[in-house]
Formats: sequence, C-alpha cells, structure tokens
Amino acid sequence: MKKRGKKIIAMTLAALAAASLATVSQAEDNGELVLFTWESMFPQEVLDEFTNRTGVKVIYSNFDTDETMLEKLAQADGGDYDVIVADDYIIEQAIQEGLVSEIDKDVVTNFGNINPLYQGQFYDPEDRYTVPYGAGIPLIVYDPMMTDVEIKGYSDLWDPALEDSVAITANYRVINGITLLSMGKSMNEEDVDVIEEAGQRLLELAPNIRLIQDDNTQDSLLNGEASAAFLYTSQVTTVMNENPDLKVVYPEEGLGFGIMGAFIPSAAPNAGAAQEFLNYLLEPEVFAQCMDYIGYYNTSSAADELVNPNLVVPDSVTKGEIIRNVSAEADEAYNKNWTEFKAACGQ
Amino acid sequence: MKRKSRWGLCIVPLYVFTLLFVLGPMLYMVAISFAQNKEGYGFSWLFTTENYEKMTDPVYVQCFVQSFRLAFTTTVLVILLGYPFGYFMARLSERGKRIMMFLIMVPFWTSSLLRLYGWIIILQVKGVFNMALVNLGILEKPLKILYSYPAVLIGMVYALLPFMILAVYSSVEKMDWALVEAARDLGASPVRAFLTVTLKLTLPGLLSGVILTFIPSMGLFFIADILGGNKIVLVGSLIQDQLTRGSNWPFAAALAVVLMVLTSLLIFLYRKITHVKDLEGIF
Repeated sequence: MKKRGKKIIAMTLAALAAASLATVSQAEDNGELVLFTWESMFPQEVLDEFTNRTGVKVIYSNFDTDETMLEKLAQADGGDYDVIVADDYIIEQAIQEGLVSEIDKDVVTNFGNINPLYQGQFYDPEDRYTVPYGAGIPLIVYDPMMTDVEIKGYSDLWDPALEDSVAITANYRVINGITLLSMGKSMNEEDVDVIEEAGQRLLELAPNIRLIQDDNTQDSLLNGEASAAFLYTSQVTTVMNENPDLKVVYPEEGLGFGIMGAFIPSAAPNAGAAQEFLNYLLEPEVFAQCMDYIGYYNTSSAADELVNPNLVVPDSVTKGEIIRNVSAEADEAYNKNWTEFKAACGQ
Repeated sequence: MKRKSRWGLCIVPLYVFTLLFVLGPMLYMVAISFAQNKEGYGFSWLFTTENYEKMTDPVYVQCFVQSFRLAFTTTVLVILLGYPFGYFMARLSERGKRIMMFLIMVPFWTSSLLRLYGWIIILQVKGVFNMALVNLGILEKPLKILYSYPAVLIGMVYALLPFMILAVYSSVEKMDWALVEAARDLGASPVRAFLTVTLKLTLPGLLSGVILTFIPSMGLFFIADILGGNKIVLVGSLIQDQLTRGSNWPFAAALAVVLMVLTSLLIFLYRKITHVKDLEGIF
C-alpha cells in the first residue's frame, strides 16, 4: 500500500512538472498568484504580507504597454494571469472581448470601500469587473505669491489678470476637454458645432498662455515663468514636494481623469486567490500603502484618512470624466482648435 | 576598359541604398499624402486629394507663413552677423584662423538640445541674464524673454550662425585679393571696391550660407518648441503633431510634400542665380 501510494505521488508530481513546463507561468499547484502589470506598481511588503496570510506566493510579471498586455492576455485566452492592473480604455476592450471575469462580491467584501467618484465609468458602467487602483488627474496648481486671482476652476484661467503667466500641458484633447468643462459640456463632446464654440473660447485663453509643454511643465512654477499651471498628476506631486506653499486646485467644473483598474482574467488559473487578493488590496491600510507608493490619487474612500493627504481628492468634487476616443470628424475639429489655439498663443 | 567596369560595380550598393532608403521612403510619403485617414489609428489606400485641400484652411496657411517669416528673419540676422564674421576671420593670420575655427567647432561637441537648455537657463525670469541686469540696476523688473518670439530668434540665430560663417569664410579665403587691389588702384573707394569686387566674388559663399540657413530653419521646429514654449506653430511642429497626437499620417505626409517642394524650389532658384552646382562651405 505504502509503496503504491508513493508511486501515485511520484506520478502526480511528474504530471504537474510536465504541465508547468508546458505553460510556464500557469501555476496549477494552487500556491501561486500571477500578478500582471507595469513595473513598480506594488510595494514588496504588501505582496509579502499577502503571502504570509494566505500562503499564496505572488509572482510579479511586467508589461510595458497596455496593448502588449491585451495581446498576451488574448493569446492566453484569458488564462495565465490571475490579477491584472491596466488603464481604463484597454480594460474596456478586454471586457468586450470576454477576457475578464466578474468580481465575486461575496468574497471581495471590501468592495464598498471604493470611492464612488471613480465608479460607473464607461469601461465598467455597472462596476462588475474592476477595482479602481489609483487615478491620474490633471489639476491646476498656482502660486498665491505671484497672483491675486483666487483660482477655483478652469474658468479662472481665463482671468485677464493672468496675462502671459499660465503654463499648460500639451495634450490637445485634455485642453479642449477643460474648455468644454468650463462651458458646462462633456470632455468627449461629439457635436462639431459645440467643439468649434470651444475653439473660439480657447482663442480667448491664448493671451494668458506663457508656455505649452508636456515634460517638466511644473518647472515653470518654480523658476518664476508662470504663476499658474495645469499639470499631470506626477508633476503636481513633484512641484508640491518642491514648494509646499503652492496651491492645488480641484476645479469646481469637474475633473478629467484616467483610472487604472485591477481585474481578474476570464480563465485565471487561481481565480479564488485572485478574488482574495483584491479583497486584501481594498483593506484601508494596504490600499493606502499602495497609493503612497505609486503616487496616484487614492481611489478608496476608506483609505483617505491613512494616505498622503496630497493624494486625496476633496469630498466637494463629485464629478469626473475620462477622455475617450471620439469620431473622426470630432477629432479633426479638436485638432484644428488646437492648431488655431497654439498659433494664437504665438501672436 | 575592363578595370573601369569593375570599379563601376562598386557603386551598385550605393545606388541600391539610395533607391531603398532615400527614394523609397520619399515615394511612400508622396503615396501616403494621397491616402485617406482612418478613424483612430492608421489610414486606408483610397485615393483622395483632401489632404492637400485641407491645407488651404487659413490655420494651416498661417503655419507656412509663420515658418517662412521665421526662416526669413533668421536668415537676415544670420547674414548681418555671419558675413562680417566670416570675412574678417578669413583675413586673420593662419594661427588666428585655426583658433577661430576651433572656437566655432567647440559647441558642436555637445548636443544641440543641451545647448538650447542652456539658453533657457540664461533667458528665464530668474535666469543669468535677467539677474545680472536687475542687480546692475539697469532693469527694475526681469524681462519675460523666454517663451517669446525673440527667444526663438536668438535660438535660431545661435544654431545656424556657424554655417553662414563657414560658407562666407571659405569663399573669402579663396578670393584673389589682387582684384580688390586693382580696383583700388583704379580709383575705387573701399566701399565701392567691396560692393563691386569682394561682394560679387563671395556671393556664391553668401548664397550657399543663405541656403544652409534658410532651409534648416524651416525644419528646426524644436527650437520654437523649447524656447518658444510651443506657441509658435511651424510646419515642422504641425507635421509632428499630426504624426503623433493627431495620428493623421496622410495629412502629415501632404504637409511634408509641400514643404519639400517649396524648399526644392529654393535650391533650384539658388542654382539659377549663382550658376553653382555645389554648396560652398561644406567640407
């Protein structure tokens, strides 16, 4: 009996070894969880703590771009990976292609911790598939020492007192978007007439523009070139570290943001552990640790108290929108607005 | 005879290279410029002239006007600074010439991008230039030079001046001074001798300097981006925008074709005027 038992174990092991050789990253022994995302998205302590608690070893696997991720996931028919963190628009595609499984809210009991501001977005309108894991939000930062204007929203950038002293990022959709928001419209407006109207309004902003630049735009606030700037999240964080006297504005007209979401692929080898992992992530202490580490805006209300206060959007902000692809005609109109605007800035 | 044909074969790789990597991409670009842009990413091979029609829109015409204006102003400034420089440099002693040549070449040892960032440090509100003038009491408030048209002009002139200097220098150096002396002996004033003899003889150098300044300045859009704060839209930056953010390759190709035709026209004119086949000052 004993001998026979050993034989069975040996055969099982051999079969397992063969299986793991066939698909390297597929962990069939229920002891591994393959996490697939960009580099440096999770602090090592958080992953170690999960292993301590559950005995499930976390294998961290990297991709460079969202597109590579989707390609690999599609090739594996939704298998190979247990938890993936990627950008909003690519998650929409993954869901449409049936590569994402629903979150089991009986296991992920912490689902209610998520800040509703980041829920119900276009890629997952019913919040069935994703846990938002940090948001990038372009915001206005200004130097109260250099201007008397109290900036509360995008519209204030049009204030004549800010002549030749506003720096902005160079993304044509974002700048068109905030103009539309300041008019009470959607950032993803499709109506060409409305877009042209926004173009006219943008031209009125031109005299205030000091520079248009995507890289290190925040420097203009530090070297005195600009008194107000519209910056990406990482730039906001950087400039606030350099000069804490600057003021960050969460524009009253609403935010434009990009969300990173965690989801479980449709054929995740260790789906059970994946659900547990998401639940673990949503624990306030764990989530706060993660947000502090990646430096993006905190997407869990429960973690607001614990996270770096610079990464918390105030409760007063209730509206947010994500920029999406629009029709070719609309895009053309946005492009034209942008070129006209830049030319007007140079006059 | 046999020997000559064997040497001829050595040129074949060069022809293949030129066809593949110069003519090929150019034809591809011309082809794309007649293709149709697709929603989102990419284009389809449906023949259309709309990319060219679109360019008649005042916004885009303005880009060409702006580019020509900047190139023209830059060239005039470069002539004013570069011609005298090249002229006097050619009259230095051999040792002096070598030192000057060395000084002109030194900046090329670092990346031009890096040197432009140097200009930012000099020109910015809290920069070297402003601080010096404010501390000397010449200015009360620092000037906002950076991210303006003058800043772009400074950068352009700075980047292109050496080409003019070298073109004029090589032309003046080759000149036969006996002709100037003859003119003076025959009673011409120094100014007249300069205008009728020196200027005429160095005209090919000057014009090749003009070509070497004018044509690159149509394309040096990164200077306008860095020192102009992206506010001056040149054809170059428009092409880049359309290729990347706008993702409209056919329109970008059409713009590039028009730019290429316009600059070729300039080179053609240059040859007509000077009857010179090669540009001077490139060695």
